[in-house]
Amino acid sequence: MANKTTVVLPCSGIGKPYGEIGRQSTYTLMEDLCPGKVTTTCLAKLMIGDPDAVELVKNNPVITLDGCAQDCARKNVESAGKKPDRAVRVINTFKHHRDLKPTGILDLGEPGRKLVEILASDLALEIDCPAKKEGSADA
Amino acid sequence: MSETGYMEFNYDKFAFRVKEYYLYHQDECWVKQEENGLVTVGITDYMQKTGGDVAFVELLEAGAAVKQGGEMGSMETIKTTMTLVAPVSGVIKEVNGALEDEPQQINQDPYGSGWIYKIEPADLAGAKQALMDAKTYFPLMEEKIKNEMTK
Amino acid sequence: MLELVEITPPKKVGIIPCNGEELPEGTLTRFACRKVLDQIKPNNTVTICLPLFINNGKEERGFVENFPTITVDGCDKRCGQKITEKLGGKKPEHSIVITDLLKEHGINAPGSARTLVDMDQQAIDLVAGEIAKKVDEIISKPNDGGK
Repeated sequence: MANKTTVVLPCSGIGKPYGEIGRQSTYTLMEDLCPGKVTTTCLAKLMIGDPDAVELVKNNPVITLDGCAQDCARKNVESAGKKPDRAVRVINTFKHHRDLKPTGILDLGEPGRKLVEILASDLALEIDCPAKKEGSADA
Repeated sequence: MSETGYMEFNYDKFAFRVKEYYLYHQDECWVKQEENGLVTVGITDYMQKTGGDVAFVELLEAGAAVKQGGEMGSMETIKTTMTLVAPVSGVIKEVNGALEDEPQQINQDPYGSGWIYKIEPADLAGAKQALMDAKTYFPLMEEKIKNEMTK
Repeated sequence: MLELVEITPPKKVGIIPCNGEELPEGTLTRFACRKVLDQIKPNNTVTICLPLFINNGKEERGFVENFPTITVDGCDKRCGQKITEKLGGKKPEHSIVITDLLKEHGINAPGSARTLVDMDQQAIDLVAGEIAKKVDEIISKPNDGGK
């Protein structure tokens, strides 16, 4: 994924907190951990065939972040003609951190925000913009 | 009989389904009689919908005995941890191993691929006294939903 | 003598936010819609998850086909409105475009898509109020104004 901008597309589902966690992880990557290396676009804009969104997704590696097993972001992107390079289910991050249960859907609370940091950090390592991780050496 | 084999109750945008020809326990679990004498058990669509996305299941092993109305494991969702109640007494013969890695099968298909155990029932005829058919269970589910949604 | 009164269930309207990730207005659609659902009109609204609706979500599609909807778009690309019309088979009862609404009332858009802060509350309240007003218009229609 070197030398290209990685496009991270969260499902942004509004019915469950994991949609918001995916969304916040995307912003954390874009603004904090991987500025200049990660971008996003509106999933809905892609689905209406907006030329800029389609071109962005077509020409760059794509990571989808789905809040649940419905896998809407992954499936939507596939139906737009692109197979994501990585399809992530946010709930799988929760499985490794059971104590971090978000307290609301939009207001995630402290546990939810910690889960955002963990997910974003894990993805930053994959995207080759290593984030400082507690307990691990700097990349 | 409906075309899909389900009875459905719609509330807002949510559709709550009940599989016809299964039997139901008041604690939101179902029983399907198999031809080989075993029964397959799982939880209802109502329970998985109100419980939330399943993240973990803690299940008993094959060979374990269960008692009708007693615990047969637990599931942790993104909202809460819920006890799974055994709808029949008997011995577990098979555990749905797919739930270890894909517990959300319970959400995706609670009456099919989200099955939990296959059990050799101790006394199915006796157990049926405490079980309901779909037609009897359906209005009880409807009532629960209306009460839950108007809280 | 007892007077029989027919009790009818509250009418329902589907609110469809675009959830756009690129603009602060997309984030505003989420906050405003949840405010309507959770606080202002809890008995008369449901939110429709747009990605699930696109992904052929049976419940989302079923609701949109059978009930009135209000789309809430962050910008004039009107993605929510277009998708609802294309996949739902009918126009929403109302389409709100946040950039237009904020401009009309002289309120600044939030500064960040990532998070809304206290000073954005005015924008949230404005949009939520507009959605609630449209919900009232729909449910007060004499026939089939919401089911």
